[in-house]
Amino acid sequence: MTETAQQETVEEIDLTAANRVIDKYIDMHGSLMPVLQGIQEAYGYIPEETVHLTAERLNVYASQIYGVLTFYAQFHLQPRGKYIVRVCMGTACHVKGAGRIAETLKDRLGIEHAETTEDVKFTAEYVACIGACGMAPVIMVNDATYGSLTVQKMDDVIKKYQAMD
Amino acid sequence: MVNLTIDGKEVKVSKTATIYEAAKEAGIYIPVLCYAKKLLPYGACRVCLVEVEQMKGRLIPSCTTPVTAGMVVTTMSDEIRKVRKTVLEFLLVNHVVDCPVCDKAGECDLQDLSYEYEVVTNRFAGEKFDLPKDEINPLIERNMNRCVLCGKCVRVCDEVVGYGSYSFINRGFETKIATAFDRGLNCEFCGQCVSLCPVGAILPRPFKFKARPWQLKEVNSVCGYCGNGCTVTFGTKDNEVQTIRFNDKTGVNDGNLCIRGRFGATYVNSDQRLTSPLIRKDGELVEASWEEALEKVTEGLRSAGSSAGIISGARLTNEELFLLKNLAKAVGTGNLDHSGGECYKGVTEGLHETLGLQASTATFPQVEKANAILAIRNDFYETHPVFGMVVNQAVKRNNAHLTVIGDKQGKLTRMPHARNLQHKPGLEVNILNAMCRFLLDEKLAKTDGLQGVEELQEALADYAVDAVTAAAGVSADAIKQSAKELVSAENAAILLAYGLPYTAYSRELGLAAANLALLTGIAGRSGSGLYLCGEKSNSQGAIDQQILPAAGALGVSGMLKSASEGKLKALYVTGEDMLVSYPDKGLVEKALDKTPFVVVQDLFLSETASKADVVLPAASFAEKSGTFTNAERRIQRLHPGIKSPGQAKTDFAIFQALLTGFGAAVPATEAAAFMALAATTPGYEMVGLEMIGDQGYVWGGETLVPEIRNLVAVTGGKALEAKYQLVVGSALYHSGTTSVHAKGPMSVVSEPYIEFGREDAAELKIVDGQQVKLKAAGGEISAKAKVDRRLPKGVLFAPYHFGSLKLNRIYNGQASIAVEISK
Repeated sequence: MTETAQQETVEEIDLTAANRVIDKYIDMHGSLMPVLQGIQEAYGYIPEETVHLTAERLNVYASQIYGVLTFYAQFHLQPRGKYIVRVCMGTACHVKGAGRIAETLKDRLGIEHAETTEDVKFTAEYVACIGACGMAPVIMVNDATYGSLTVQKMDDVIKKYQAMD
Repeated sequence: MVNLTIDGKEVKVSKTATIYEAAKEAGIYIPVLCYAKKLLPYGACRVCLVEVEQMKGRLIPSCTTPVTAGMVVTTMSDEIRKVRKTVLEFLLVNHVVDCPVCDKAGECDLQDLSYEYEVVTNRFAGEKFDLPKDEINPLIERNMNRCVLCGKCVRVCDEVVGYGSYSFINRGFETKIATAFDRGLNCEFCGQCVSLCPVGAILPRPFKFKARPWQLKEVNSVCGYCGNGCTVTFGTKDNEVQTIRFNDKTGVNDGNLCIRGRFGATYVNSDQRLTSPLIRKDGELVEASWEEALEKVTEGLRSAGSSAGIISGARLTNEELFLLKNLAKAVGTGNLDHSGGECYKGVTEGLHETLGLQASTATFPQVEKANAILAIRNDFYETHPVFGMVVNQAVKRNNAHLTVIGDKQGKLTRMPHARNLQHKPGLEVNILNAMCRFLLDEKLAKTDGLQGVEELQEALADYAVDAVTAAAGVSADAIKQSAKELVSAENAAILLAYGLPYTAYSRELGLAAANLALLTGIAGRSGSGLYLCGEKSNSQGAIDQQILPAAGALGVSGMLKSASEGKLKALYVTGEDMLVSYPDKGLVEKALDKTPFVVVQDLFLSETASKADVVLPAASFAEKSGTFTNAERRIQRLHPGIKSPGQAKTDFAIFQALLTGFGAAVPATEAAAFMALAATTPGYEMVGLEMIGDQGYVWGGETLVPEIRNLVAVTGGKALEAKYQLVVGSALYHSGTTSVHAKGPMSVVSEPYIEFGREDAAELKIVDGQQVKLKAAGGEISAKAKVDRRLPKGVLFAPYHFGSLKLNRIYNGQASIAVEISK
């Protein structure tokens, strides 16, 4: 019952899916990575409560799991939007106006790099290069790629996804 | 052994040594930051780089490189000096230079190395870290701007403590040491990280701005809390213990301590200490002179004679206990006992009946090499935390099989591959019986030379594994597997702690554990051992000296019962707050009320002391000479670090004065008393004070061979049929009732609590910190709820250290208490 204990705020989430993932890997040696990947797939991110559950069931310290989660860029500790908008910031895109595209995204949705809209529909991510320099400036929304963007075209893409569920 | 050459010197070392260790052994200095003797090699800081002729072309980290035959090592050259200096410059790019306000200044490795390598300017410039300090917890300050990422804190918390608070988080330039989710520290607060941090990144907060390191006087002594017997090194100034300093050269704890040892000694400086004798006059306790007080005590005890009762705490030194025993003789009473009477029957009666011994059969360091360990009651690491660290190392470094028999989970049950036999409260004996039965049935037991094999087998008819499994709620496979591991291990250990919160069926538990130790061949075998660990710093000394009722006389429970019926004329209590810590508060109250003359000798005006007719102010462990015997039979010497406050006297001086009053023979010094007690105490006969060195002296040797090998049948418990039941025990952060006067432990756990498992809390809609009431036969207790992950459904827990909880209104020594919960 230390003062610090009160810092902990644990979200209430359904742990069934996380338990299922752990069940699948529990007898496997060195199962932490696949377990964390499985949990992220199930929840879209790694909720704190699942970290404690994993720590408890796999006998790994929560601090170590946190170390792993913050080491690899693939893991996310906050809920992410249904649509991940990756804005390419590579050299070609930069020259052809990636800054304006990012600005437009920020202007329309109110989110910057690594931020998520309140309705958890969109997450913005500025990435180094998505390897489609011929289409610069380019973005990806989940798996779909949109190239040769202008502010107008960017607006259309945003509107299209806003209209979707 | 391997021969090599270091700086032209021929060196012969063990083949497992690293270059650094070889150099150190040869007296050759190599600087280090990330190396620590007790941690595995890591090689993070690179200041220990050396040249090896056979590995030309690059510098070699000496702390991670094993020696090989014929190696030629150079530890200093222009190049090495240049590289080490560069390493320091890199570290100082990030490290803030705030030495004037850093408590570590004067003993900081980085500061010393910067001085040695004359790092007066830095060729590299960069932005200094500006990370927020963790000042949330009261004991450990973390300033990560000073961190050199040596990882010692991460490693010690994992490798030694087994708690795992820290980890490296993020990567690249952003890497830092943090807790899960980068929160403030909320851990065991053992301060192992404090003791190992080579710079000022992790510091003891209570010590902040108290003294510069070089102003402190260092005195080695033995911790006054538990039966582990850790060496503590007082850093004293102005007649106060300012801090407990790191010391891995003396004692058996390798510099390891728990929260109590490291942060709990400050109660000795408390302004609440008793400073003069008090005598009850017109119903009030008023200050009196020693002459008057002693006269009154002598008179009271003399007139009580054989109807006087003497109850001692187990934190008095051996020499003081020796005088106390003589005092009982001088008074003419056999009613002498210590700490609770019932709680240590596992050792005094259980072990006596089976093994003919009254002590653990082996020493703590042996456990690190055990292949199989059975820990009975997971609380044992909470009463003996540093012993718990030894278990952790056995599991982590040597892959020992660990089985925990306990009614709640704890740090031990979370260790890698730990087998957790979590049972319904009060059924430990049943599980131990089931293990014995299984070994006998399967013909796995080592029955050669054992008495009573057939009788035991017959008596265990009801303890077939399957029957016990169902009743206790643990798996049959787990019981069988654990028994098999214990019997087949080359080295095995059975660990059991006992003390005031574990008074229920203590004798039976001792018997059952001893039966298992006999059937598995653990008892008396070199490298293996049965450990029955007393709760207090000198519990074993009190047992060794038979601070126990004489034949036909009364023990604690008998004395209290008799006193409550008005049959005792005087009660003399030293170093115990019975009203708070003993089971059955009603009985203790009645006993104190009905006894015409009560003397209490203590450090504080405890609840019990405030009921006394005479209160004698005693000295703390930090003010004493003498010896303690720890739970592995190690006799160790105390050295006074400070002077007692006011007129407080050591228990030794008080007993001396009383014995003189009775006209009895009195040893003039502690040394004389030790000689006298050694002559009359079995096992101590050949021990002289001069034989007690830095590692203490283990009486009876590393392995104590049983005098008899008797199996004694013992009946198990019955599960309590109640929806909710409360179990009582120790909290890691506290020890008895003494630690509630210590700022360190109190700043972490400052008040009593009732712990709920999460399932129960959710069902009852109880949240952390909410006030709850428990109703049981005997009364009602109320405290804040603590919701945790370690209790099974239907089981609650409360620690026994706090008087305000009045826990012993409902705890009468039963294994678990049926309770009703309300908010």
